[in-house]
Amino acid sequence: MKLISIKYFLKEGFKNVWINGMMSIASILVMVCCMILTGSAVLMSANISFTLKSIEGKNSITIYLDKEVTAGQALRVGEKIAEVPNIVTCDYYPREEAANRYKDMMGPFFQSFQGDKNPFPDAFHITMEDLSRYEETVDKIKAINGVKSISDRSETAKKLTELNSLVANAGFWIVISLGAVSLFIISNTIKVTMHNRRFEINIMKSIGATNWFIRIPFIVEGMTIGLISALVSTGILKLVYEEILNIVNKIIPFRGVSFNELILPVFLSFIVAGVMVGLIGGGISVSKYLKKEGGDVVAW
Amino acid sequence: MIEFQNVTKVYDNTTVALKNLTLQIDDGEFVFVVGASGSGKSTFLKLIMKEETPLEGKIIVNGVDITEMKKSQIPYLRRTMGIVFQDFRLIEKMTVYENVEFAMDIIGATTKEKRKRVPYVLGLVGLSDKARRRPSELSGGEKQRVGMARALVNNPHMIIADEPTGNIDPSMSYEIVELLGEINKCGTTVIMVTHDIDIVKKFPFRVIEISKGEIKSDTGRRSDVS
Repeated sequence: MKLISIKYFLKEGFKNVWINGMMSIASILVMVCCMILTGSAVLMSANISFTLKSIEGKNSITIYLDKEVTAGQALRVGEKIAEVPNIVTCDYYPREEAANRYKDMMGPFFQSFQGDKNPFPDAFHITMEDLSRYEETVDKIKAINGVKSISDRSETAKKLTELNSLVANAGFWIVISLGAVSLFIISNTIKVTMHNRRFEINIMKSIGATNWFIRIPFIVEGMTIGLISALVSTGILKLVYEEILNIVNKIIPFRGVSFNELILPVFLSFIVAGVMVGLIGGGISVSKYLKKEGGDVVAW
Repeated sequence: MIEFQNVTKVYDNTTVALKNLTLQIDDGEFVFVVGASGSGKSTFLKLIMKEETPLEGKIIVNGVDITEMKKSQIPYLRRTMGIVFQDFRLIEKMTVYENVEFAMDIIGATTKEKRKRVPYVLGLVGLSDKARRRPSELSGGEKQRVGMARALVNNPHMIIADEPTGNIDPSMSYEIVELLGEINKCGTTVIMVTHDIDIVKKFPFRVIEISKGEIKSDTGRRSDVS
């Protein structure tokens, strides 16, 4: 393909996006919605995976004692826990430390959590050597006098895994349905262009333009719409995500996945998706009309 | 050379547009194709341009049987022809210059080639001073001259003019045909479909009359006369 033709295709494709103003904007909006929803699902999934990994990495379980247990009794309970087979570490986490941590995190609201008003119980953080013996080990710990409950992170992990698959499933259907809508709108935008330019197409065909010469500017138009949508949605997603992360961070200590870590794969997949939708949408609508000849083109 | 060998064209299995048509048009000839509305003269042009395919017979253009031609080859056949339409088919948003230049874009001409050829062709049709005008600012005759410049710009072997004087006033019609005659003098074959018998009588060119899909009369090929 000659360089001169490439220049012509790009010029015509970009010009079509501009000339079709409202239809192009409608197509871009639908694609942006589709991409933002898809991107949100991806970000949510990435954060859930990140949290899951951190839970699995810690492999840590918290054992809460009865509130009535004194500091001295707590140490003896700790010794008994440490004697349970399969326990690797057993660290004491006094109620005062729990209260102080919440005071630091949440500020004045927790200032009154002192002495008898401290609602937190004493606790132990333990790690196990073999997680497959989890149930058996937990049962033995529960049998120790003074132990009230066990925070089971494996349960949290299970719930997060379920949530992750739910997000992935929902994300998949969102992408499929909004992708179809985008395809429909883009192909209609291009059909409008083709209808407006039917005389040109007729003249082009009669002068000897190949079908590809006629088709490519429309495909460039679709791809440009896809590209603009990818840029806009990545920008919006970055702004909104970082704002949400800031708000969440003010409430709970949650590091989350940095958007910059994900920006490249997200942006690249948006570009590929946008360009593909544009290409298919452009291709579908043009092929139908390129079959028409001469007067039929003008009369349609 | 264009050769029709026993060509029959039927639309929708019922309407017979051309019936067993046989004729030859030599390179460099100027041919008027005349006939009443519905006589088959437009179908004749469509078959040459490969916009339609005959039911029977062969059509040979420049030594190639176009009835057997693949779809992908049709654009290259059409590049050997320049088409002039009755309704001009100019693009309103483009200037006169751009309307002509556009035809060169299609064949992938370079900017240098376009800058050389477009002003030359506009000069040939007498529109150098109106290159920056829009079609809406031109008279019917001028619009048709733009159409002719566009048909000529890619240096085609033949010009196919479908009722080129149909939408312009009679005084301008003579000028348009005269211009086509000048183009023909340079060796380009011209096939002009018209129902304007008066204009045909004013020029000494070959006349083929089609009636009900058949040749009613033919004044004969230039080679036959000589």
